[in-house]
This record gives sequence, C-alpha cells and structure tokens, in this order.
Amino acid sequence: MTGHTGSITAGVVNAVRDAHARRAPLRIAGGRSWMDAGRPCGGIEPLDVGALRGIVSYEPGDLTLTARAGTTLAEIAGVTAAEGQWLTMDPPGAAAGTLGATIATASAGPLATGFGTPRDHVLGCEFVSGRGEVVRAGGRVVKNVAGFDLVRLVTGAWGTLGALTEITVRLRALPEADVTLAVNVGGNSLAEIADAAWRWTRETEFRPLAAELLSPSLARRLVNEDDTLLLMRFGGNAGYIAAATSAVAALGDVRPMSADVWTGAARNDPDGAVVFRASTLPSRAGSLFARLSAFAESAGGCAQATVARGIVRCVLPIASTDVLPLLRAELAYHSASCTLVGEHLPADLWDIVDRARTTDGLAARVRAAFDPDGVMNPGILGAR
Amino acid sequence: MPLNETLARALEDIVGPSRLLRRPGELRAYESDGLPGYQARPSLAVFPGTRDEVIAVVRALAASHTSFVARGAGTGLSGGALADDVVLLGLHRLKRIISIDGDNARAVVEPGVVNATLSAAAAPYGLHYAPDPSSQTACTIGGNVAENAGGPHCLKYGVTLNHVLALTVILPDGEVVTLGNAEGELDGCDLLGAFIGSEGCFGVVLDATVHLEHTPASVRTLLADFASVDAAAHAVSAIIASGIVAAAMEMMDHAAIQVVEASIYAAGYPTDAAAILLIELDGATAGLDDDVARVAALCTAAGARGVRIATDAAERARLWQGRKKAFGAMGRISSHLVVQDAVVPRTRLPDVLARIHDIGARYRVNVCNVFHAGDGNLHPNIGYDANDADESARVHAAMTEIMQACIDAGGTITGEHGVGLDKLPYMEALFTPDTLGAMCALREVFDPEHRANPGKVVPVHSCREWHGAASARAPR
Repeated sequence: MTGHTGSITAGVVNAVRDAHARRAPLRIAGGRSWMDAGRPCGGIEPLDVGALRGIVSYEPGDLTLTARAGTTLAEIAGVTAAEGQWLTMDPPGAAAGTLGATIATASAGPLATGFGTPRDHVLGCEFVSGRGEVVRAGGRVVKNVAGFDLVRLVTGAWGTLGALTEITVRLRALPEADVTLAVNVGGNSLAEIADAAWRWTRETEFRPLAAELLSPSLARRLVNEDDTLLLMRFGGNAGYIAAATSAVAALGDVRPMSADVWTGAARNDPDGAVVFRASTLPSRAGSLFARLSAFAESAGGCAQATVARGIVRCVLPIASTDVLPLLRAELAYHSASCTLVGEHLPADLWDIVDRARTTDGLAARVRAAFDPDGVMNPGILGAR
Repeated sequence: MPLNETLARALEDIVGPSRLLRRPGELRAYESDGLPGYQARPSLAVFPGTRDEVIAVVRALAASHTSFVARGAGTGLSGGALADDVVLLGLHRLKRIISIDGDNARAVVEPGVVNATLSAAAAPYGLHYAPDPSSQTACTIGGNVAENAGGPHCLKYGVTLNHVLALTVILPDGEVVTLGNAEGELDGCDLLGAFIGSEGCFGVVLDATVHLEHTPASVRTLLADFASVDAAAHAVSAIIASGIVAAAMEMMDHAAIQVVEASIYAAGYPTDAAAILLIELDGATAGLDDDVARVAALCTAAGARGVRIATDAAERARLWQGRKKAFGAMGRISSHLVVQDAVVPRTRLPDVLARIHDIGARYRVNVCNVFHAGDGNLHPNIGYDANDADESARVHAAMTEIMQACIDAGGTITGEHGVGLDKLPYMEALFTPDTLGAMCALREVFDPEHRANPGKVVPVHSCREWHGAASARAPR
C-alpha cells in the first residue's frame, strides 16, 4: 500500500508550475471522454493526467478505496465486485469514464437517488493547485471534520482550483439482491404520470436506489417500448424486494428488467448532442418533465427525470440552425423558475443557462486564491 | 471614547440594553463551552433576536474591525465557542422554524433552532432531521452546521453535510450570500460544502434549508453482549460486509457500561460484558426481521454471549438512553470529563482499542469508550479532576498519545466534534504545510481580516506563503 502517488504527481506539479510561470492556460485532460463537456475552455495546452491510473489502496474491510484520478470506473467496479462491494456512482457516459472526471464535474447518475452525489462519496483527495502546490485534503476514513473542507471545494469545481491526482472514495457492500423494475405508470397526462411517480417515492416506506422516468423515444431505445416508462431499482433481502415490487404495482404494470438497462441509460448522449438539465423542487418536477419531454421528443430527442430529486435531463440531436431559436426560447422560459445546468450546449446558448448568483464574487475569489493566474481550465465554468 | 465603549453602544442600539452583556459577572456564564478545563472571557456578549439584528451586529463588528465568535448552545466539545477577549455573538434566540415543506421533505430554520425541536416539528409530516448528536436536546442547527455534526444514526443517513441543501450566511465583512440551492441541484464550486464544518470561521448562518428523512416504518434495536472488545469489533466488520446497512452501530466498553449501569440512566446492560454493541435496523417492515436475524447470527458467530432484541418502544428508548446519556452518567463519578473524538479505518478498531487501553493503564487514567463503531468514530472519555494538576497532566499526556495512535493507524483527529482549540496541536501531524496553507487561503477568501473565530481550526503559523496571493480582494 503506497501513501502517495509520488513521482507521477511530481510530473503534474512540474507542468503546472511551468504553466504558472509562463501564464499559459492549461486544459486538464484525463480519459478525454469528457473533453467537450461543459463550456468551451480557454485552456490551450493539454495537461495530460492520463498516466495517473491505478488503484493505490483498497481495504475491503474499511469499504474505502484510493485510486489515481485517471482510473476508470470500470476498473474500480471490477476490483470491488470481486469483494462484494461497489462504488455507487453511475455518471452519464461509459464506464471508461474516469474517477477524476466524475469527481471534478460532480457528475451524478440514477444511483444518486439512493446514495447521493459525488460530494457524498469522496473522503479525501490529492490535487495540484494552480500554483503547483500538492494539497492532500480529507483522509481515508468515513467521517472526518479535521480542518476546512477542501474535498468538497474541489468536488464539482471542474479542475479550476487544481488538477486532481488521487481520490479516496467510500464504497458500499452490494445488497443481497438488486432488482430493476419497469413500470407503466397510469395517468391521464404526462404531468399526472410524473407526479404519481414522485408521490410514490415520497410516500412509500421503501427507498428506491434509483427512480427514473423515461420519455417514449428513450424507452424505445432502451427497452423497446414506445411509452413513457418508469425504471426503478431496489436493493435488499428477498422479503424486502418482493414487498417493494408489489408496492410498485400500485402505480401500474410492473415487470423486472435486466440491470443492463442502466448501462444503456448512462450512454444516452451521442457525440455532439445538446444536453442540459433543469431542476426544481421534486413536487414541481412533474409539470417540468411533461413540458420538457414534449419539447425534446418534438425536436427528435428525449428526456429523463430523476423523480425524487426534481431533475429533468434533456438530450437533443445536434442542434440544427432551425432548432436553435426554439431551444433558446425553451431555455429562457425555464431559466426563471428552474436551475439550468448545461452539459453540452452550443456556444451561443450559455448566456441563458448562466444566472447571476450572490456567490459569484466569493467563487471568483476562491479561484484566485488557488489559481491566481487563471491557468487551470479557464472559462470552463463560464464567468462564474 | 474607547473603541469597546463605542462598539458597545452601537450594539446596544441594535439589540437593546438587556441583550448586551459587558460586566465580568454577567459574562462568566459564557466563559466555557463543552470543552472542560478551558475558560476564556468574552469582551462583550451580544444576543440578537432577529435576522436583521444579526446582520446589523455583524456589520457593526465589521465597521470597527472587531473579532467575534458565534455561539449556538455552547455544547461543542472542542472549544470552538470559546471567545477570548473578543465579542461573543450568541444566536440561540433565533429559534424560529420558518417553514416545513412536507411534500419536498425539507425545512427552513433559523440557526438557533434546537436539533431535537426540528425533528419534533417534522414528526407530523412523517419526517425527521437525521443527524442526531448526543447533545441533540440542547444543540442548535447553526452549531451543527458549523461543526458538521454527526451522531449515531449518521452511519446510515449521513452527517450534517449530507442534509443541508442551502444556507443564507452573512460573511464577516457583512455581505449576505446564499450557498447551495434550496430548490434545484447543486452545481459548480461547492461553497456550501466548504462552509459546513468551517467552525464559525467563514461567517454566520442566518437560515438553513435542510433535508428531512422519512421516519422509518419499523425500527429494531439489538443489544449484543461480548466477552471481548475484539469480538465486538469483528462483529461490526461482519455486519458491514454483509451488505445490511444498519441505522446505527454503537459500542460501549466495560468501563463505560459500569458507569452507565451505576447511574440513573441504567439501561439494563450486562455489567460483566467486555463490550456491548447497540445495533439499530430500520426501514420498511418487509424483510426487516430477516435482517435482524442475520445480524444476530453474525454477532453470535463473532462470539457474542447473547443478543437481546428490544420488544417494544419503551425498551428501545431505555437501551438508547444509556448510550445517549453516557457522558452525563460520567459526570456522577468525576468533576470533569474529556470526551475525545477520533476516527480510524474500521479494520483498525481492534488494535487501536487495545492501544488505547494500554495508554490508559500506563498513565493511570480511567478511559471509557462509548462510540460509533460502524463509522470507526472513537470517543475515548476520561473522567478526572481538572483542579488536580498531576491528574490533569496525565490525562493530557494520555490523550495526546491516543490521538497519535489514531493518526498512526491512518485515521483522523476529529470525526464530528471539530478542531476548535483542543485539536489545533494535532493539525500539523495530520496535514502537510501546503494543505494547511490551502485551508488558510480558503479562510482568507471568506474572512480576509481573520476576525471570525480567530485562532481556531488551523494554527496561525501554518498560514505563511499563501497569504499574499489569497487576499487579493477589492476593498468594499
């Protein structure tokens, strides 16, 4: 068990210090599967962290794992499954995505319903700040309040405060049984269907690990059914799963599905697609899903709602010039009442997604403290 | 007029004369918090009653460049609320639950709301606030946010960080900002996460939007009785590995059991046990008893002499009372109690507990262990008399060695109590100079004048090189 990524980190330190001295903006490049995610980045020179691969330490009895940032989620899944454990993070993209990118972007998938988002899983990390210092934040234990929380600070900061080199995450034991159910939720309208699905998660004594509502074209692609479909996932013992399955039947026709459907759902963003998320209070997300599902389907795309978290994710095919004005109007409509997050957007639509926040000044000062010359992924979070 | 006099008048104008304490006799009650053996007298103590008053007070402090310490109920165990010749800003009067949204399982509260009061108010909605520190009947949400408080049920439900959705805070310079997102998802730099657990160094909470958990349909509490601490620790590992997520898994060692059973909080624990585990399982009724049976079998396989399952709510409450009031029970046998807080990797529990036992014996101090075994979060406690210089020195030396043992085992120096003043000496053993520098840089962003809870969390001398670049802030 090694405690430090050592010489590999030293390479990153040298590259960052060199860029810092030359004031040459860097674009952090790991697995390179997410290079065009987010906003256009002003960093020109790639800071290649692809060599930062491999599991540094894994003690199954502690349910914690430390890996270099470029380690793929697939590799982690393989190693942990052999011990009856898993890392409960399933961000959009293929399993070839890296742990570093997942944490840097705080990307969450359906399992966030049951287990929370990356900020809830990261126990510690090492990163190289924009000034070239090696910071080792947090630790390898599951509870830790020693000092200010630099771990949360860099989780979701898109590399603007530093380049992640090593990360420690919390694992879970695999449940005795893990079942995926597809439900045709009854209702007279999309909003009614979505509301019923949310209401069920709110009132049930069962805690789904995931509950995702798919628009018809997504349901067609994933399970070959041409209807709005609710996918749910439960983990527990046989008695619990059986009772949860019959409770779900109150919503509509239920049948078991292969867990592979989640892999397909995670890969639902073809190259060049326009992808954004709108979120609001879960109680209001039914009408949000209804509207965005109709919009996305009419534009040849699809929508997916994380019902218990109030999030709707839209995937549209490459924006043609005639769709752009409609998309702009749709985003503008939602910008007043929702939180909009762009995953892939055409350059001229970012202004609608960005909203002024009371923390803009504070966030800019944090970036200045960790990266005074603005060399780390400049512009990737916009003006914020 | 001296500065203090000018400031006192300004503060009195905001809160009224009865809410500003300035005479030594009045301030005496605010000289201590939950950390024994430390006393520090504030220069003034001010107790605003409304959000607007808090804002006005913080701005008056900013205008006069005065340092201050925010305080909730003063139950913290690391000295975080000690105010040494600076202004003490008491927030316990801000105890309004602003709203509870049952549909969306969230509440908006003022910082002085008592933790258990929030859960009681949420109960009619079938909800509760999950983080449950042992001081929950007294401690406040604002203090919980400052310390990133935990508690027994954090094993399943997570700590304060995992339950706060948004905060409105006033920065030490008087600027009011909203951290997090009360209605949608969090994105970008997680300033909310950075603020939680910042121990009053980053600003003052004006209101908190928190997530409430569903009250479980069924709860089962088990008491497992072991002839050795080692066997109990192995049972914990086996249960975690089984995939069953216990709501709580608490261990008490022989010394702690003796103290509780001799007190009015006697819970019926077996007094001849080397250790007991208090295990709670909760959730849907279906399948729960199967998990209970499996957990009981795992305990037996690990060497439990017996496993008792509470048959009703009253028995459950009694089993928990012994655990939650263990620190109070210790007050019966000694005048002072140091409650330590450290975390070790769960596989290291048996050998770290053995080392703690050896250290206690060597220094002739009576160490009791009452702790969150499922998280590896240790609470070694030592009762003593702080007026006995020799005993105090032995307790201090033993605690220092215990902390070093936890660090050596790959652990950390605090899991839920905070660094405050008490853990400052260990920060440099745990973090590199560059890491401490980064923490200082973050503090500079929130509080460039270092006026909020000065001298806590990060040793001042650790903040060297990072200073210049970090404080590049335009004057307001």
